[in-house]
Amino acid sequence: MIFPIRNFFLRKCLTLRSGYLALVALGSLLLPMQSQAVPAFARQTGQNCVACHAGGQFPELTPYGRLFKLTGYTIGTRTVPLSVMGVVTSSSIANAPAGTAKSSEPIFATSSLFIAGKITDNIGTFTQITYDPYAVDNGDGSFSGHTNADNIDIRFADHVVADKQDWIYGVSLNNHPSVTDPWNTVAAWTQYVPVPSPSSSQFIDGTAPFPDFPWDDNVAGVNAYVYWNRTIYADVGMYRTADRAFSFLSAGINPRLQLSGSNPYWRVALSREWGPHNLMVGTSGMVANVYDDPTDISDPATVSQYRSQGFDAQYQYLLDPHTVTAQLAYMKTEHIYSDAVNETLTNPGFSDTNTTTRAKLTYTYQAKYGGSVSAFNMTGTTNNQSDPSTSGMTYEAFFIPKQNVRIGAQYTTYNTYQGASSNYDGAGRNASDNNSMFLYVWFAY
Amino acid sequence: MKYGQIFLAISVTLLGAGCSSIERSRNLADPQVSAATLAQQVCSLCHGIDGNSVSPIFPRLAGQVPEYLVAQLENFKSHQRSDPPGYEYMWGLTRNLTDEQIKGLAEYFSKQQPISNATVDAQQMAAGKVIFENGVPEKEAAPCMACHGPNAQGLAMFPRLAGQHQDYLVKQLHVFQETEGRPGTPMKQITHLLSDQEMEAVASYLQAFPATP
Repeated sequence: MIFPIRNFFLRKCLTLRSGYLALVALGSLLLPMQSQAVPAFARQTGQNCVACHAGGQFPELTPYGRLFKLTGYTIGTRTVPLSVMGVVTSSSIANAPAGTAKSSEPIFATSSLFIAGKITDNIGTFTQITYDPYAVDNGDGSFSGHTNADNIDIRFADHVVADKQDWIYGVSLNNHPSVTDPWNTVAAWTQYVPVPSPSSSQFIDGTAPFPDFPWDDNVAGVNAYVYWNRTIYADVGMYRTADRAFSFLSAGINPRLQLSGSNPYWRVALSREWGPHNLMVGTSGMVANVYDDPTDISDPATVSQYRSQGFDAQYQYLLDPHTVTAQLAYMKTEHIYSDAVNETLTNPGFSDTNTTTRAKLTYTYQAKYGGSVSAFNMTGTTNNQSDPSTSGMTYEAFFIPKQNVRIGAQYTTYNTYQGASSNYDGAGRNASDNNSMFLYVWFAY
Repeated sequence: MKYGQIFLAISVTLLGAGCSSIERSRNLADPQVSAATLAQQVCSLCHGIDGNSVSPIFPRLAGQVPEYLVAQLENFKSHQRSDPPGYEYMWGLTRNLTDEQIKGLAEYFSKQQPISNATVDAQQMAAGKVIFENGVPEKEAAPCMACHGPNAQGLAMFPRLAGQHQDYLVKQLHVFQETEGRPGTPMKQITHLLSDQEMEAVASYLQAFPATP
């Protein structure tokens, strides 16, 4: 789903198109909810959400859901591939900083339109366009909304079955490294959802550090992948700036991120299923050359390099009425400063490396009642950056009264924040001042 | 507007659609797609390519009685069978299948070779064997083998039970006992007084039943 602080800082504001917001809200409320009313993929297969989503808690996938994604979202009968999603939230910060506009206030925080499903027998897409009513804080108590392309994955896939050999393979055009992956421990999918913008919810878990590619914004990539015998998964991609013919992949992001040249991404995973259990261990990484200033790509000396290497693992126990998931994700990124920035550094010639780890345990009962506990920890070198260390826990409880509605509460606590437990900003603010309660109602159609 | 380009890109990909092959189709509403293709491309994802499913959520289909499989697929399609995994997974997948595809799917899986399932607790298995062979007369439960065969291999319309997942069998026995989710069989009468322990015991015996042709 989305969008950490980087997106927020990279965007300019666009005037809210109030008609869009009203249409989404009205559509969600007034469309008749049939007894089998389910979002686009479910309409395509006719199956309940639990078939693909572990314990019904989207976006986490079951083994069948992973295969649905890897075969190009093509299982079933082509239908109108449209869905909408909306989230109503309320965030409360233990000690809200002065000027926090949306503390303890219910808001319609974000909504998305999905174009998702089967196009042909081999081609399918997951395309998300997201509207954020609080994209930009105007500073006078008002906010400007913004719409942009979110995760986009258009893929061609095939599945060849031979005696004792099973090959699923495909090609994807997409706009975030690791969005193609079917496990929920990679950079694009490890975020604690739902995630409204930082303007509306500043310290919730979705904005806390998670193992990802720190520079990531909408880019353009082509990946090739293969899943052999449901055991070995390999995915390699090359990413470039999402401009010219690929500018739709970064629609609404202005200025868009500028990569230099082609930037490789790789991912390998081993998976095994036995009884009601399944386990995956994997690794992923990327080398990205990013222009320091997205509005000026004239000088190669202004290109920084990010070298990322990650490890992730996921275990699931799936057997009604219980669903148990344990996840571990780790990413280490070395930031090699550009030549231009290097000249201004305290320690020229030295890079900085940040390491982020997350561990999460989730349980759901009857795909209706659930909760999770997770820990996050980011540390980093301080050669040319201030100490970024941020660590904490998130506790969540949720209730799924109908399969397309989720009501939840997340409580995020901070042990350290940007380098310290106490007085991290020099003005007396403690990490625990950022502890946040986040309440949400998430619905989709 | 850039969003038009998103739709354009998707439309353009349709031009590449000529590469699809009906022998590897996952389209569940095309009568031209063969049953074997559907079995390999869709059913196998949960039930295994050879019908020996790994997860107990999904019943093993290998060596199953073909008439029984036809009846279940028709009952899913008509919504006559409405146990939870039935409507969660199977209603949607069967809604457009033709009679020919249903028959072909039943043939495909009935011809597959069952393999042994996981071992179970010996004591529970022994208790289950007694129920399988003798029934529970005081609870009006007939011996399972009378209808399901001495090797639990199935007879006529009665399904093969040998090697089936214990958890799946127990859940289906509860469906028979407590709901109207699977009408039209003698199982409601047979299970109506069985205890949880008796269901677990006979299901464990069936899971560990040695695979026989």
